[in-house]
Amino acid sequence: MKKIFLTCMVLGIALALTSGITSAQQKFRIGYAVPLTGTFGRDGSLVRDAYAYWAELVNSKGGIEVKGKKYPVELSFIDDKSIAAENAKLTEKLITDDKVDLILGGFGSDSVFAGSAVAEKYKYPMICGSASSNKLFERGFKYYFSTIGKATEEVRGCVEISQMLSPKPKTGVIIGSDILFTALAAEGYKKYAAQNGIEILHFELFPITLQDYNSMLLKVKQMNPDVLFVGSHLMVAMKTMKALKEIDFTPKMVTFSYGPTVPDFVKSLGKDAEYVVAASEWAPNLPYKDPLFGTARQFNDDYFKKYGRYPDYVEAASAAGAYAMQIAIEKLGITPPVKEADRVRLMEELYKQNLTTFYGVVKFGPDGANEAHPPVAVQIQNGKLRNVFPRDAAEATPWYPMKPWKER
Amino acid sequence: MLLFLQSLLNGILLGGIYAAYSAGFSLIFGVMGVINIFHGEMVMLGAFITYWIFTLFHVDPFLTIPFSIIALFVFGYLVQRFVINRVVEAPPMISYILTFGIHLIIAYTALWVWTADFRTVTTSYSGFNANVGGIIIPYARLATFGLALVVVAGLYVLLYKSEVGRAIQATAQDKEVARLMGVNIRRIYAITFGIGAAITGIAGSLISTYFIIFPQMGLPYTIIAFCVVVLGGMGYIPGALWGGLILGVVQSLTATYLNSGISGAFTFILLFVMLIVRPSGIVGKGIVE
Repeated sequence: MKKIFLTCMVLGIALALTSGITSAQQKFRIGYAVPLTGTFGRDGSLVRDAYAYWAELVNSKGGIEVKGKKYPVELSFIDDKSIAAENAKLTEKLITDDKVDLILGGFGSDSVFAGSAVAEKYKYPMICGSASSNKLFERGFKYYFSTIGKATEEVRGCVEISQMLSPKPKTGVIIGSDILFTALAAEGYKKYAAQNGIEILHFELFPITLQDYNSMLLKVKQMNPDVLFVGSHLMVAMKTMKALKEIDFTPKMVTFSYGPTVPDFVKSLGKDAEYVVAASEWAPNLPYKDPLFGTARQFNDDYFKKYGRYPDYVEAASAAGAYAMQIAIEKLGITPPVKEADRVRLMEELYKQNLTTFYGVVKFGPDGANEAHPPVAVQIQNGKLRNVFPRDAAEATPWYPMKPWKER
Repeated sequence: MLLFLQSLLNGILLGGIYAAYSAGFSLIFGVMGVINIFHGEMVMLGAFITYWIFTLFHVDPFLTIPFSIIALFVFGYLVQRFVINRVVEAPPMISYILTFGIHLIIAYTALWVWTADFRTVTTSYSGFNANVGGIIIPYARLATFGLALVVVAGLYVLLYKSEVGRAIQATAQDKEVARLMGVNIRRIYAITFGIGAAITGIAGSLISTYFIIFPQMGLPYTIIAFCVVVLGGMGYIPGALWGGLILGVVQSLTATYLNSGISGAFTFILLFVMLIVRPSGIVGKGIVE
């Protein structure tokens, strides 16, 4: 009797284990390391929300459809605490310990720079919608892709908008926090200012940990430039606006490489956020659409229904990246568990892709950067982000010059 | 010249902010010898108390200060009474580890409850300033500077003119003798910590109106408070004002005339030089052991 019982138990356990393995093979396990705490905790949480939105939408339709069968998506994420080395370690953990099928990019150039090196080593294609430092694309990597343009190109719209303004700004000052993305954004400003005939009076990079901006901006105020170009993330952008008001300095235009498109910017600063110009890669009024998300406007509105806030362009770019991976999987007929040979095919397919999405066209160049994406500039007008550049896609005329603080 | 005066004034006001949130650090170190690693978290808690009362009930940030004082006093008193008192007479390393642990607990609990969002208190008068002969004086910073003076003066009066103050002083000078004289050392420690936390909470409330606040903002504040207190003299309360002013002015002038990156380096060069040349602080009244 005992023997029969034991045999049944062993068989039962074996059956449970086998069925566990079988069921694990019925879904795509996708992992990513992203900052949820530390300096980029807020920005990183946007990327997490975007992937979750994509996964939920895909799963609501039964999953990724491969050869007539649907495979749901299971996401797992780990907090890299805004530390680049941590991102590399966690990406390796996802690949070697958790054995995920695929990975996605996190947030921020420093972290993604480290994490993508691990992905390259293990031949995992990584599509990212939130890291754009040029250095990411200069490493000869084959497995790193980005739905957004390079950092230096991203700010192009913020400078070229000057051609639409009257009187045209003649002078500018560039400041930026001294980390990979924002420092490159500052370089981008410099490059495009020269092309647009704007004389740069001063260029300064400052530590991201700088607590007080007033003294630095006093010097800028003294120079009285027409435009203040800022290489920024959300916190830097917020601190800059607070300081400008405190020292009573209103240049004719202030532009940021990143920050004002995050909803917290307008929510926290209220009317003080008006007139701010920001680089963007996407706006909901653009005429793009795809079968999963619908139109850009639909994505915008549905996202609001889910999260109670409108998406930032980084969220649109991240969702589009996950979608690009999904389309490539569907086309190649890859099923979970994803093997190395499948990942190599996936990488090759991504280079061939020319995909129209709600976010715009996704077409990766030989260095992995999205070649088909024009920079956009948005401005905060009456508490809303309005697309003001390029001119043919603009939904509003830029407000210029900025109204002095005392007259608001 | 105007730029110099403006930068100098900005440095003085920045010094006032540094002094306001460092005085409590100095008091706690002076009496108990505890280097409180979660000091910055108390600034954060004060700032968040103001933020939430302002956001939920639309109460003016300045009127929220009493709530910060009470909440932080109770918090400080309880933490000292039930946690730090257990190790206060152990070697300093134990209290570092303990306060570091509390720093992590508070920061991560706040992160869990309030998320990593960056917040700020924007009132209808945020960023308002006076223009005196071309020199801009931001009101909120001026108020913080005034408050730093009041806090330092208030602490001075408390320590030298009240019975509790005398007990605190006696405990700071020689706890064994104080104990023999009937002073309840552990209670005095808890009251001291409560007072230190309360004045730090006030600074946090004011800071929320011109700085960006978020759950993990604390550590840089602890580091600055440490620098300020070393410059002014460890445990010497008016030293927080001296230390804050030196640091604020040096940082402001270097950011204006040199580079904001160098201004950060100057902070630590100053700290380094001071520890070697004058460890008892700029006026030489700090504790050196």
